[in-house]
Amino acid sequence: MDGKRRILIMAVVFGLVALLPIFFGGSKVIMHILIMCLIWSVVASCWDLIMGFAGIFSFGQVAFFVIGAYASAIFSLRLGVPPIISTFLAGAVAAAVGVLVALPCLRLKGAYVALVTFAVHMILAPFLKSNMGRAIGTGGAQGLLTIPPISLFGYTFQNAEPIPFFYLTLVVAVICSLIIILVIMSHWGTAFLTLKDSEDFARALGVSALRYKLMVFALTSFLTGMIGGFYGHYVGMLSTRMLGIDLFVTLMIMLVIGGVGQYPGAVLGAFFTVTINEMLAPVGSYRPLILGAMVLILVLALPDGVVGLIRSLFNLGGRGARAGGRMK
Amino acid sequence: MAERVLLRASNLTKRFGALVAVNNLSFQVKEGEIFGIAGPNGAGKSTVYNLLTGVYPFEGRVEFEGREIAGLPPHKIAHMGIARTFQVPQIFASLTVGECVDVGSRFGCPGGYDRAYTSEMLDFVSLTDQKDRPTEQLNLLGKKRLMIGASLATKPKILMLDEPMAGSNFKEIQQLMDLIKKINQDLGITIIIIEHFMKVLTELTKTLLIIETGTEICCGDPVEVTANPKVIQCYLGDAYAEN
Ligand SMILES: Nc1ncnc2c1ncn2[C@@H]1O[C@H](COP(=O)(O)OP(=O)(O)OP(=O)(O)O)[C@@H](O)[C@H]1O
Ligand SMILES: [Mg+2]
Repeated sequence: MDGKRRILIMAVVFGLVALLPIFFGGSKVIMHILIMCLIWSVVASCWDLIMGFAGIFSFGQVAFFVIGAYASAIFSLRLGVPPIISTFLAGAVAAAVGVLVALPCLRLKGAYVALVTFAVHMILAPFLKSNMGRAIGTGGAQGLLTIPPISLFGYTFQNAEPIPFFYLTLVVAVICSLIIILVIMSHWGTAFLTLKDSEDFARALGVSALRYKLMVFALTSFLTGMIGGFYGHYVGMLSTRMLGIDLFVTLMIMLVIGGVGQYPGAVLGAFFTVTINEMLAPVGSYRPLILGAMVLILVLALPDGVVGLIRSLFNLGGRGARAGGRMK
Repeated sequence: MAERVLLRASNLTKRFGALVAVNNLSFQVKEGEIFGIAGPNGAGKSTVYNLLTGVYPFEGRVEFEGREIAGLPPHKIAHMGIARTFQVPQIFASLTVGECVDVGSRFGCPGGYDRAYTSEMLDFVSLTDQKDRPTEQLNLLGKKRLMIGASLATKPKILMLDEPMAGSNFKEIQQLMDLIKKINQDLGITIIIIEHFMKVLTELTKTLLIIETGTEICCGDPVEVTANPKVIQCYLGDAYAEN
């Protein structure tokens, strides 16, 4: 898939999404779902960049999201930093943690990277709840309430008024997507793919594994942390419940549905999954069961996700599952 | 060409736990020559390449153009002008043939990205007509050419080939030998080649190093080396050597 086609798919998707408030603007529930779709599309896209393109099995994406959410909330609540600035600071904090996590991962391969990064996820909740966490202002087991909303040019984006917030989120999601596409199309993207396909040969041809792996960790955790901070200011409260297995699995479904390494498939996957998830709300405790079954069926039936399905339906030919980074 | 030493390896030793894969090995490669390395399976030949290209730490010294390179990471060694291929063909499955060669020029060229040189090298390894195909569609010989093309795109001073003939038929061997001669003569690149086929080694190389269990058996003119009883013994066993 070349860059132009990626941009085209993205323009169509976000263009259509931008029109949705015309039809659903009256429903706060639907607008909330759309906002969540946009937020998760950024997280899923970042995960696709690091896993689908760079081939690094980072399972710390939810952790980076939560770190960003807490960091931004703490900066704004405890230090009085305006939320519009604290979300960027939150991105920086998440990126710093991302690089710290990346360092031990540089020497590891595949499943071991998944273990190390997931360990970060696992220790995060106990840390946030601990006295240490409380000391930096996480609010302990109770979490954080009354996180201030984002204000821009004197206008405050309240979640009670979802339409302005929706468009703000859309702008953020489009910017993040553009950054990701530009990275994929640049020589960074090529470097990521070569390291994924054959690290030994890539290094022998002059690709610095250290530099590009640190870069992809830093970039994806920055964007994920930033959107996490953004999320916190939207919902206004945070707890460690997000670190349960639910959200992690949901995110994984987004990626599987979208197709790993099929960007912008992850964006479509996020929209599809968040919507299904909301529709399953009435079945309550059966939801995880249905989601789990979906992962299984999808992995077996759609190894390349919806983008792969569309491609094979329309026989768009070209390169296989791991295509990307075409030379210009 | 001048008899300048391009690469000097001194007292290389590599241990994997209790196994000594390379044992106090020293050799030198002169500028412009084709230098052969041979030895039985598991002798440590590929490990020597891994040491020279910085894949893992080891004991000993490696001087390239008079500069110490031991301890440098692989990509820095690539930037200094050392390129290599792998015994098991390595390609980038996500990229096209053209993009694959371009990786060498984009990331490995000490003078910076040279796109024109990518096309030149694609042509050199006869892959221009396949440049838009996914790399995975190439056959074994195509993948080997591609690996060589991408390595050449880094504008190396020395190219190290690891069993380039493995799995090839007679005709392909002939083609690859012609390609290797062309790299050496037309591009002026010094070559180290690991090979099992003695005929290839005697035809191509000026110096031949035989190693067994990581230790040098002998080194010198390929015709003399292949006639050396110690070499015959290590290759064919004691029974032959006695005859
Ligand atoms: N990363 C490693 N870890 C442990 N042992 C290794 C490693 N790499 C190589 N070895 C061992 O070192 C010895 C030398 O291996 P090497 O691959 O260099 O041999 P070779 O001469 O290239 O053989 P072949 O002709 O089969 O390619 C072998 O016994 C091998 O099992
Ligand atoms: Mg070998």
